[in-house]
Amino acid sequence: MANSSFIRIAQVAKEFTAPDGSIIPVVEPLSIDVQEGEFVVFVGPSGCGKTTVMRMVGGLETTSAGDIYLNGKRVEGPNRDKGMVFQSYSSFPWLTVLGNIRFGLKYRDDISADEKERIARHYLDLVGLTPFADYTINRISGGMRQRVAIARTLAANPLVLLMDEPFGALDALSRERLQIQLMDLRRAERKTVIFVTHDVDEAVLLADRIIVFSARPARVLADIAVSATLPEKRSLDILDIPEFRKIRRDVLALIRNEETRMEAAE
Amino acid sequence: MDPPGAAWRDLIVFRAAPRPRQELWLSIGAFLAVLIVWLIVAESGLVHPQILPSPRAVMAAWWRLFTEAEYISDIGISVARVWAAFLASAVIAIPLGILMSGYRAITALFEPIIDFVRYLPVPALVPLTLIWLGIGEGSKVTLLWIGTFFQLILLIADDARRVPKEFIETGRTLGASDTALMKDVLLRAMLPNMVDSLRITLGWCWTYLIVAEIVASSSGIGYELWTARRYGKSPEVFAGILTIGIIGLASDQAIRFLHRRWFRYLH
Ligand SMILES: Nc1ncnc2c1ncn2[C@@H]1O[C@H](COP(=O)(O)OP(=O)(O)O)[C@@H](O)[C@H]1O
Ligand SMILES: [Mg+2]
Repeated sequence: MANSSFIRIAQVAKEFTAPDGSIIPVVEPLSIDVQEGEFVVFVGPSGCGKTTVMRMVGGLETTSAGDIYLNGKRVEGPNRDKGMVFQSYSSFPWLTVLGNIRFGLKYRDDISADEKERIARHYLDLVGLTPFADYTINRISGGMRQRVAIARTLAANPLVLLMDEPFGALDALSRERLQIQLMDLRRAERKTVIFVTHDVDEAVLLADRIIVFSARPARVLADIAVSATLPEKRSLDILDIPEFRKIRRDVLALIRNEETRMEAAE
Repeated sequence: MDPPGAAWRDLIVFRAAPRPRQELWLSIGAFLAVLIVWLIVAESGLVHPQILPSPRAVMAAWWRLFTEAEYISDIGISVARVWAAFLASAVIAIPLGILMSGYRAITALFEPIIDFVRYLPVPALVPLTLIWLGIGEGSKVTLLWIGTFFQLILLIADDARRVPKEFIETGRTLGASDTALMKDVLLRAMLPNMVDSLRITLGWCWTYLIVAEIVASSSGIGYELWTARRYGKSPEVFAGILTIGIIGLASDQAIRFLHRRWFRYLH
């Protein structure tokens, strides 16, 4: 392939058909390229189409026009290459914490059973849940459930990690802890990540690159290289430095502007 | 610490916390109350014993049924019919219901037929099963099967449809094939609801059993019930009704108990 991007979203559009038969354009033809190992965050007004774009990358939604390529191959449906972490708790309640993480390895036939067990325990440890290995899901907190979901997805060893507002339902403290943990994990794993959030602080804290979407139908309003101004290794202290605040202000201004425009249009 | 009496008061507070002990006592109390009222009314002679035999007469009738009429084998054969039909329904309805929930073609193919049969009153099918299968066990089990299968399959399909989309999508993104998805995620996620659906269907089986045994049988609880009626033996009729009630209650409670044990993660 001529283009060497790891993920290539090429002139992709999406429209839904409303119950009354009318066509709702949700994503305008848009193109985004993501490099291997990059942490890309999607932000934009709510309902603009962020989830839809991510689901198309994951193969969970078809494109209405255009194609998406992952590692040179056209995306044609969901599979183990595209790991997904949802906002709602998707851990299986009939399995334990460790059982859920093992499930991430269930359909891998490239490794032995011993190796699977070792990997499951490795990720269990990495998300700090070893003391809770045998707990059932309904006995652990929301933050722990999301850690289970992340560990399970990483255990499957996907090419890209797709996270749709994974911390959106958590309280502020749990969210901070998970953000830090995700940064650590990410440095250790060098995974390519696409992350959707409506929390601009979270976006700037985590991102190498922030993509700001317009109001529906989604277009790319801005593509901000955060790692050009902020150091790669970050902690929560970064929230106070001027470069951080500038990016945050710019992104917020863009989103606010879109929301005003949207309200005016209605 | 609760003040004394708080547990009892919670029973009549709107949406209060559950009080299993007190609830159990209340249930037992209600049961005993019915029994006592029955005893008083029957023994007082206000009602003709033919209409309402006394509990003692019913106990005696039970004794006669077990010692003289081999009632235990009647119970055995009724239970066997119910379970044969119930298992035959479940074995087909579970896979087909799951497939119906997942493949539109299968729904489109089967749903009109299922809905049609579902609305037929089962007793109306008795003549047909008799013509087809005679008065042997086949016709009775078939009747029960028709009465439950077409209801059960829709319940199962519904249980499967209610499994959160995220579970299915999680399975897919972890590399599960369609079959693996149905077996390891869908079936597992819907299992608690499915056991409830099965429990409810088992109850319906008993309804149709009595219909089948009254119309065309020479054995079983329903047959004994109907024979007793013919000879005006109302204590035996009561004993028959109570036997069905007790078996129903016991199997229902047994399944509920297993439900709590198997699906601890829900409780
Ligand atoms: N399956 C669907 N059918 C119809 N409309 C949909 C469907 N999924 C999403 N939409 C619509 O598409 C728009 C974008 O949704 P989404 O991608 O979830 O937005 P975001 O994640 O940015 O908040 C919303 O207006 C939503 O109502
Ligand atoms: Mg969304």
